[in-house]
Amino acid sequence: MTALAPELAQQDLETLVAQVWSTYVLDEGPLPAPPASWTSATPCWSSAVSVTGAWHGMIAVDLAQDAAVALTRAMLAMEDDEEPAAEDLVDAVGEVANMVGGNVKALVPGPSGLSLPVVGQSPLAAPSDLAPSLCLDLTWNGHPLRVRVLTGAGSSAGSAVEPSTAPRQEMLP
Amino acid sequence: MKILIADDSRVMRQIVIRTLRQAGHAGHELIEAENGREAVEKVRSEAPDLVLSDWNMPEMTGIDALDTLRASGSTVPFGFVTSEGSDEMRARAAASGAAFLISKPFTPEAFDEALTGVFASMG
Repeated sequence: MTALAPELAQQDLETLVAQVWSTYVLDEGPLPAPPASWTSATPCWSSAVSVTGAWHGMIAVDLAQDAAVALTRAMLAMEDDEEPAAEDLVDAVGEVANMVGGNVKALVPGPSGLSLPVVGQSPLAAPSDLAPSLCLDLTWNGHPLRVRVLTGAGSSAGSAVEPSTAPRQEMLP
Repeated sequence: MKILIADDSRVMRQIVIRTLRQAGHAGHELIEAENGREAVEKVRSEAPDLVLSDWNMPEMTGIDALDTLRASGSTVPFGFVTSEGSDEMRARAAASGAAFLISKPFTPEAFDEALTGVFASMG
């Protein structure tokens, strides 16, 4: 059984997300929000990376559409009325998952590898060999944001999002 | 100084450029690469004074780019800017000849400290 490392707790995820926001968004970080703020009808962007090795899991970041646009504007220092291109949204949302996932990887047992991010326009589903371990529901600027950590059972074989040499990938429904 | 920034994320390349400016290192000539293979090619064609590279990139990773450069005799100062800052990654970077590893998310202070050290060692 590949258990979630005891070092990784809800508080670690909150801290990691707050660090990303304070560094790149220069804004008050996301705040805890009740799960009811997120519904299946919320238009969103989702990105995920997988960690494969001594620890096996997937880290996903789901952002409401408006939050993804605001995040992209902040990361690219764009004006409030500028509309980010779709490729910039993919890039920015993927980079957030990459940063959160890379830092999670540093907190769990190694050695392991980190995949490139996969980005989609609906919450990325986990493969059947992974089960939810942590779920952090947050609100930023009134928009829902969710960070999910899923871990694998059994051996470290297999992968949620295979480490790939392919370019940053956009998966659209 | 000519600095090569290698990252498959355009967003992150822009953030690195902005952070260099905030760290007091504006005015350098900046060139960019989208992966490790392009970084190796640009080190050979553009002769930068410093490489700032992501680790995890398509086509060729940053660590493979560094190993390729060192194997070919290049001694260009090479630092990583990556989301993976574990002791294991730092040790691997150092063993391959990296000058430093800055982990994401980073601050201008982290950039200033790393670059000042590299520039001092260049005389």
